[in-house]
Amino acid sequence: MAAAELSRVRRSVLPQPGDTWNTIAQRELPKMDEAKAVSSLQSWNLHVFMRAAGAAGGVRGTNPILPSDVIFIEAPAAKA
Amino acid sequence: MYDLVIRNGTIVDGSGMPSYKADIAVSGDRIAKIGRVAETGREEVDASGKVVSPGFIDPHTHFDAQLLWDGYAKPALSHGVTTIVPGNCSLSLAPLKAEHRMKLVGMFNQIEEMPYKAFKEGVVWDWETFSEYITRIRKGLAINVAPLVGHSVIRLWVMGDAAMERTATAEEVASMQGVLRECLDAGAVGLSTSYVDMDETLLPVPSRYADASEVDALASVLGEYGRILQIVPEFYDPDLTIARLDQLAEISLKYSIPTTFSPLFINADNVEAVERVMARVDEQFARGARVWPQVQTRPIDISFSFAVPSLIFVRMPNWYKLMRFGTPEQIIEGFTNPENRKKLIAEATPNMGLWSFLTLRFAQTDANQKYVGKTLAEIGQMRGCTPLEAMIDLSVEEKLDAHFMAANMGHNSDERVSAMLKHPRVHIGASDGGAHILSFSTYGDTGYLFAHFVRHLKAMSLEEAVKKVTSDTAGIWGIPDRGLIQKGYVADLVVFDAATIDRGEETYVQDVPGDGKRYVRDSRGVDTVVVGGGIAWSAAAGYKDDTRGAILPGEAVETRPLVAA
Repeated sequence: MAAAELSRVRRSVLPQPGDTWNTIAQRELPKMDEAKAVSSLQSWNLHVFMRAAGAAGGVRGTNPILPSDVIFIEAPAAKA
Repeated sequence: MYDLVIRNGTIVDGSGMPSYKADIAVSGDRIAKIGRVAETGREEVDASGKVVSPGFIDPHTHFDAQLLWDGYAKPALSHGVTTIVPGNCSLSLAPLKAEHRMKLVGMFNQIEEMPYKAFKEGVVWDWETFSEYITRIRKGLAINVAPLVGHSVIRLWVMGDAAMERTATAEEVASMQGVLRECLDAGAVGLSTSYVDMDETLLPVPSRYADASEVDALASVLGEYGRILQIVPEFYDPDLTIARLDQLAEISLKYSIPTTFSPLFINADNVEAVERVMARVDEQFARGARVWPQVQTRPIDISFSFAVPSLIFVRMPNWYKLMRFGTPEQIIEGFTNPENRKKLIAEATPNMGLWSFLTLRFAQTDANQKYVGKTLAEIGQMRGCTPLEAMIDLSVEEKLDAHFMAANMGHNSDERVSAMLKHPRVHIGASDGGAHILSFSTYGDTGYLFAHFVRHLKAMSLEEAVKKVTSDTAGIWGIPDRGLIQKGYVADLVVFDAATIDRGEETYVQDVPGDGKRYVRDSRGVDTVVVGGGIAWSAAAGYKDDTRGAILPGEAVETRPLVAA
């Protein structure tokens, strides 16, 4: 495997204040149907999607996205 | 007359250059002469047939609590470790307001597996600020300490409980910058943060509620001082690790600071992933960024009982919740209640390969002594049940005081780990010294480096290995005047036998406050350890009362000239 291929980086973003799956979908995947984009984002970011949401009554509500998260905006590279 | 003379040693000076024969004379805390020393010393050490090297530096520890009752960081010092870096992974014991003490103890308990009782019975809480904590640990300090300040703790100090709920306001970020400056002025070597850890209620630690702009603002303060940023990335996923090291690289370039991330393990199932991470590290170094991955020398061995939560179960929610939140009686009930037992077995059965090769390490009852040392597969055959059922039943019979061991769980390919350790942009560290005390021994990684990778495998020369854990580490962390044997450098030295240096067998000892136990390893082949010009430990006399440990890199008044633009 060539070095350039080894070091290929999967595209990602850092959340902006107040970001949800929907706002990230609208901003990063504008050409995709929003529901499909949200579903895609969730499947590409299981480390966030599978996490418990914020505490009941807390500021984050049911949004599992933390301000420090890395959110991938494309699928993982296919295995060689 | 010199204060100390070490005679007839083979000097491995930490630079990586070939060894040579010489004496070393010490005046005060400094190396005064290297060569033939005619004058006598108040103390003399005969190093004939032995190596003299700079003291080893351990850059990833959690000795924050232990230093409050043990200024030697035992047994790390006896292994030749003369400098430790506590405060990793966003957690330090200062600055800390009184109302947050138990919150932080909970985090240490969850993340670093430190018993509550040790804090309760071993810690007199008489500090709040970082400076007060430093004053507190200075008393009786026999080992050098280069303390990181934890990002989670700074957030708690400034934001209170909101640190675990939201991003900071501009005013709060400015306050955090001020607190960080105070800590750096008081002697902190840098800042640590975490993107992966959870607190004792299994919610993210405060640092994970920080957005990138907050980390950037704190990094700008590190830039004023030229100090290091340490992070724990989502190390289980190479794409996430690469994204984090890219973040670190931008910070390193923007503020001209070193950064480091840990851990990085190489296992049979992640070889390609580690290759990708290292390719990215190489690429970022080529840009001029400093993003040092930390790699440990030892293979992964984990011991556990069901008396305390073990991270080995963290990906099995039913098991982990029972261990984390259950009383001993509730755990035993959880194991014996037919419905719950069925649920637990169903969750753990996919990992039967793991349970099969676990061994029973200790049992308390006479009836179960016959199983000690056998695998759960063997015990299951003897008892006519599955390995998993054997583990559960033994735990119930032993009232949870049955100890199991998973040996060689990973990071155990000689060829792959050797290649990692030799890599010029790999930083040897990640011992976790002082933490996980009921899961494995975090002492002796340097002995293992010399015994296994230098002596047995011949994967690297003695000079290369010494350089990796002395001058390389001092350089990466900006610790001045240490890590080399040079005239004028501080005399932190180790005398050891290159033919026998090693880590000892892992033993289970009771030496933690609150009648606590822990796994440790004694040193083998280490003769004398010198800190700040004084003998701190010797094989002949043990730990000495002459305590000369320093806080490094030292208060900022001494290091301000190094401040970056």
